[in-house]
Amino acid sequence: MTTLADTPIQQKSPTVKSRRRRLRWERTSPYFYIAPFFVIFAIFGLFPLLYNFVISLYDWNPIGEQKFIGIDNFTRLFADPRFWNATVNTLGIFLLSTVPQLILALGLAHLLNHARLKAANFFRMSMLVPYITSVAATTIVFAQLFDRDYGMLNWLLSLVGVDPIAWVDGRYTSWLVVSTMVGWRWFGYNTLLYLAALQAIPRDMYEAAEVDGAGSWAQFRYLTIPSLRPVIIFTIITSTIGGLQVFTEPLLLNPAAPLTCGASRQCQTLVLFLYEQGFGQYEFGYGAAIGVVLFVIIVLIAGINFLISTRIRGGRS
Amino acid sequence: MRIRRSTATVTVVALALVVTGCSSGASAGGGESGSTQIEYWSFTGIDAKAKVAEFEEANPEFDVKLTEVGSSAETAQAVTAAIASGKVPDLVLIQDDDLAKLTANPGNFIDLNTLGAEDIEGDYFDWTWSAATSVDGAQLGVPTDTGGLAYAYRTDLFAAAGLPTDPAEVAALWPTWDDFLAVAEDYTDKTGKPFIDSAANSVFRATVNQVTEQYYDDKGELVYDTNPQVEEAYDLAIDAASSGVSAKLGAFSEGWSAGIADGAFAVMVAPSWMLGVIKSNDPEGAGNWAVTTVPGVGGNWGGSHLLIPKGAKNPEAAWEFIKANQSPEAQLQLFLDHGNFPAAIEAVDSPELVDATDPFFSDVATGAVLGQSVAALKPFPIGPETGAIGGEFSNAITRVDVEGADPATSWDDALSSIKLAIGG
Repeated sequence: MTTLADTPIQQKSPTVKSRRRRLRWERTSPYFYIAPFFVIFAIFGLFPLLYNFVISLYDWNPIGEQKFIGIDNFTRLFADPRFWNATVNTLGIFLLSTVPQLILALGLAHLLNHARLKAANFFRMSMLVPYITSVAATTIVFAQLFDRDYGMLNWLLSLVGVDPIAWVDGRYTSWLVVSTMVGWRWFGYNTLLYLAALQAIPRDMYEAAEVDGAGSWAQFRYLTIPSLRPVIIFTIITSTIGGLQVFTEPLLLNPAAPLTCGASRQCQTLVLFLYEQGFGQYEFGYGAAIGVVLFVIIVLIAGINFLISTRIRGGRS
Repeated sequence: MRIRRSTATVTVVALALVVTGCSSGASAGGGESGSTQIEYWSFTGIDAKAKVAEFEEANPEFDVKLTEVGSSAETAQAVTAAIASGKVPDLVLIQDDDLAKLTANPGNFIDLNTLGAEDIEGDYFDWTWSAATSVDGAQLGVPTDTGGLAYAYRTDLFAAAGLPTDPAEVAALWPTWDDFLAVAEDYTDKTGKPFIDSAANSVFRATVNQVTEQYYDDKGELVYDTNPQVEEAYDLAIDAASSGVSAKLGAFSEGWSAGIADGAFAVMVAPSWMLGVIKSNDPEGAGNWAVTTVPGVGGNWGGSHLLIPKGAKNPEAAWEFIKANQSPEAQLQLFLDHGNFPAAIEAVDSPELVDATDPFFSDVATGAVLGQSVAALKPFPIGPETGAIGGEFSNAITRVDVEGADPATSWDDALSSIKLAIGG
């Protein structure tokens, strides 16, 4: 008995001290665990981003003169028809690729979740194949499919009497080619995200809905969509960011004029325009200004999307 | 004979290197192993390794650290980044498309005249030598190769259309561009098929370089909008674009590559390196192809220069590497081994090159045809925006050719695009 009473008293002071130390460590250690990401992000993400704003105020040749010119790059940019052309191209390609892609992904995820498929895992995993295929390889294959003289698509169209279409040479048709490639690359990835979220919805909720007399459309509309709300918001925002930064596909689509994606800049996106000015013309300042404007556009559109998608019916936040 | 001559050259060069190598080694404070290091940035795919190994074997006092950066454009980008950061290699290979952009700021490279470039200036064609001369007269690079420019044509399609197939007779069909366009229209009338791949590629690329003055005058002032030679070159291409003889296929597009084998067009522009492209796209086509001269006087597409960035640690050593590897003998050897077309006059005139025939191209002496094209070219001033201006004119021609834009407004559109491109 005496020993039991003595021991805590003797040990009390070191225990308190070490517990306090442990508490302090527990409070501060998470910062150390997450530090590697944030340190690397600060060096390779945040600093270039901020420095880009600085460069956009200069007439900046990487190997020549660097002169402060204030907002001249921006006034020049807003008067530049090539910039507006690239902006319209980017928005067009973004809408053409993202909207059908997300709808398709949602429908496909619904099918993969519900239907009693044999080898369901095979079908689910194969959705990822376009995503892990190199963009360059995808572009080459699609350029072949859409080729004017030897492409499979024109061959199929010729069977129903349609004259060959010069897909890459026309403005809207070239958007379609780029959008198809972008959609092809991302729709599997988004399908899997939706599928994962669908599988988290408890089965009995559907059973309860069925008992209450909800048909399959009503289930989809009032149960599935609201449950997917966080994932839908996530995919819309990532697709907005990705869809407005399309670059590799248009760069590789037209080898005779790669930096403009064709003789009329028909499918030159904003990022490709940035690349043309920065690395084709060595106008880093002008290129950086394009980057700043693109940043603002993305923030704006992502914000609008966020506002719209939080209003998806059933949101209770 | 050839062996003895090149052995003698190697010996002389080696002796020269021993002397200069020692002195530059001493001035650089001496390398770790007593050898002078040359940091050399080159492209992939041109077998730079073999040349470096050869050089090191002949000159053990030099240690060449070769980096094959990537494609020619990637190499130019890496060099730009290196200059911007201040830590540069000793020697860089730059493709001519990227050259003007880099030499627009001549302070970034060593004036090779200070190392003795004047002594070898006469070895090379003046137009390719002057392509690396800055506006203030500094010599910033030594030409390593050129492309030349010929027409490759389908002998089987020519025969079917009742045209001659022998290169000399074909060349006699089109001494001038007007003759060429007449032949083209005749072919298209008879066969119903296009004659050339595209107007921008197979006409403008040739006509725009057959000038004595292009987009800049000799004072470095822009004259692209007033120079009648440019307008004439442009109009010829527009004529080709609007006369229905073009297959409207952009160079290197999928349809273009397939069309080479398929006979989608009968004639295409062919610098030396394009001969390999044709072979790989039409592997079964041996004997169906031949090569002849383009109308007018000469042409070129391609080529590279070696430059020494300012701030290089061992510029003298890099210069010795240039001299040894870009001598007329060395360039001839490179042509015989790898097909790179020389920039050195003596190499282009050598019997080994002139007599080289190619069975794929119906045993035509391809070297002689290409040699004629580079020998006939005249130098003209090149400026930092030469590439951008040429690209906009080429785009304007493609718009007429492929998209059916109106030829009359096309010139004005080209001029306003250029003003935008070069910053007004």
